[in-house]
Amino acid sequence: MTVDVSTIYLLDVETGESVEAELRDAIEQAQLDDWQTKWQPALLTVLQELARKGVPMSQWPQSWHWNWAQKTAKVQGLLAFRGFSVVARGETQGLAQVDLTKASREPSQAGKPLVYLDYLEVAPWNRPDFGPVPRLRGVGSALITAAVALSDEEGFKGRLGLHSLPQADAFYRKIGMTDLGPDPAYQNLRYFEMTVEQARTFLEGEQDR
Amino acid sequence: MKFERSKDWWMARARREGDAVIGAGLLALDPKPDERASGAQIAAVEETRIAFGKFVNLMRRRRGFSMEQLAQAADLDASELLVIEDDVHHVPEPRTVFKLAETFEVSQRRLMQLAGLAAANDAGFRREAVRFAARSESVQKLTPEESSALEAFVTVLSEQEPKRAK
Repeated sequence: MTVDVSTIYLLDVETGESVEAELRDAIEQAQLDDWQTKWQPALLTVLQELARKGVPMSQWPQSWHWNWAQKTAKVQGLLAFRGFSVVARGETQGLAQVDLTKASREPSQAGKPLVYLDYLEVAPWNRPDFGPVPRLRGVGSALITAAVALSDEEGFKGRLGLHSLPQADAFYRKIGMTDLGPDPAYQNLRYFEMTVEQARTFLEGEQDR
Repeated sequence: MKFERSKDWWMARARREGDAVIGAGLLALDPKPDERASGAQIAAVEETRIAFGKFVNLMRRRRGFSMEQLAQAADLDASELLVIEDDVHHVPEPRTVFKLAETFEVSQRRLMQLAGLAAANDAGFRREAVRFAARSESVQKLTPEESSALEAFVTVLSEQEPKRAK
């Protein structure tokens, strides 16, 4: 399988400069290696810092009760699925996996095919909730853009569904997605959907000439 | 799939993102520990496991080891040591517990019990474990109190189990 590479631009928060990056329409072994050798140690550093400061575990971010082995196995399994990755400065900055077999739930388009965003995660050093560290901004947006563009290309007209992480709810509302509420089948993560109309606005919104 | 937009278009997207943390799906949420058995049973296991985590932490520091150094000395993964010391929900691998017992020169059987991987016959053992956990604090340097609590507990860990009654 050949990988299509699109040139995109991210924002370096520290300098305010733009950073050229690659949007790749695949997750390859190099990305999984980055996840294991760079993302995971970066997460551990955050953990160690919290432990060093004597912050009790009960006050750590909710997602810290991990089963590392299980997560690693699942991430390694991403190779088998259709996905996207953002690469900049020689490192994987974000990963997403999509599923093209699901149907819409939003009443105006219920039952119609959509791109379901099964997984989206940005590198720990790009996450503003992990402390005031220099980071690239725009990685998550780029991955969502890719999923919407894929939906368009597949003839799904931009329809997109996803289960949001609690800290991301506000963002999905901001980009115009419809909030269909907590889904008990997904640990009560809120399910969001983008309609054809919303997708059109999302993709063309601020397009220059 | 190719997707071409101008630099300005992408930069506007990046700016709009602001300080949002973007993520989706259960895998990004990170898996929860495995489902566990009944409440009371869990509480007992976790009580001793707190002691297990503290024990590993104090023994490591007493030797002046970083997690990496202990990992190397015991032929273990530093990431597992981290969760052992800090997450009472983490169920350690038997091999890890054996390696730690070997490194710290305490009874493998006792350490397995402390880690919740084996049941102890004597209630006294659990009491000792809880007392130990309650006495030790997680601070940078080992205080004299921690040192003596640790010494006493090492003795308990080295003792044989009492013979079964009857």
